[in-house]
Amino acid sequence: MPVYRYCLLTLVCPLLLFWGCGSGENHQKEVVASGTIELTDGWARPGAKGMMSAVYLTIRNKTAYPDTLAGVSSDVAREAEVHESYKGENGMSAMRPAPDRVIKSGDNLYLQPGGLHIMLIKLKDDLAAGDSVNVLMEFRHSGARNVRLPVQAQR
Amino acid sequence: MLYLPVMKPINLMLWTFAALGISLSLAACNNPDTIIDLNNHSYELLNEDSSAVRFPGDYSGKTTLITFIYTHCPDVCPVITANMKNIQSELADTSGIRFVEITFDPERDTPSVLAEYKDVYSLNHQFSLLTGQPPEIDSLLSKLNIVAEKARIDSLQQDSSDYFMRHSNTIYIMDKQGRIRTEYPANVVPPENVIEDLQKIR
Repeated sequence: MPVYRYCLLTLVCPLLLFWGCGSGENHQKEVVASGTIELTDGWARPGAKGMMSAVYLTIRNKTAYPDTLAGVSSDVAREAEVHESYKGENGMSAMRPAPDRVIKSGDNLYLQPGGLHIMLIKLKDDLAAGDSVNVLMEFRHSGARNVRLPVQAQR
Repeated sequence: MLYLPVMKPINLMLWTFAALGISLSLAACNNPDTIIDLNNHSYELLNEDSSAVRFPGDYSGKTTLITFIYTHCPDVCPVITANMKNIQSELADTSGIRFVEITFDPERDTPSVLAEYKDVYSLNHQFSLLTGQPPEIDSLLSKLNIVAEKARIDSLQQDSSDYFMRHSNTIYIMDKQGRIRTEYPANVVPPENVIEDLQKIR
């Protein structure tokens, strides 16, 4: 084989390889469309210093993966946890922790009065209607999201 | 020409009595019966301003909406309070109506804590938030068929004062004579249902 043919093969093969890799990457990008975790309709209840409050919002998973609400915190409370109110025995109202809620791709997780909520435990100061609170939400896949929410009387 | 049937006076009288009887029966059907009669009972309680309250005697002559809450409750009790406020605000005329919230948790809900709750939720003078000595509250709740028990959540329990409560979820209407007449699921009942019954009972 003439030398120039070796040179041609040496040039063409890597080009073909790169083109192949490049097209694969483009294909992968089309499948894994980059999305976000969307947080809407958020608000928090008023509460007195040392008492409790609750945070409500809608979490929409617009990513291509299931994601998990792995943790919550807020600078206005000593602790924060995801809890769920439910109707127990004899119609009694009760509450239980609801950690690690999974949100499927495209699904909404509704945190609303009488159901799932973020409980703010032992408020560091009074929270009155018109104030606002920062809430940090840790998602296992998407990472941390910080939102600022208004304090409102019951909607 | 219109012909009216001619009745003998005795028949007319019998028909009149029958019609009256049917009307009274229908009125009784529409007017709720007594569920619990507190007439011969009296409980010594405290208002959120620390004044003494005789329950139900101090509400005699008023139609009273009664519910039950505790102030460390972050989710359901504020919904119940909001529903009481919605009933109040949707009533065209609130004269002669009182709104009472009795705590499940007298150990922590002192008058001053209840006063703070009343302030946070902007409840007006028609609302009374009542507490009392724990045995007195227990006795009243038991008479009213209201159940409340302490529940602990391990991750949050740092000392014995860290607890939540499993509790009944109830609004009652008490009439002017101290009789409980109707009962509703407190956090979900539409205000118009309560208002309709209030108009019959008041």
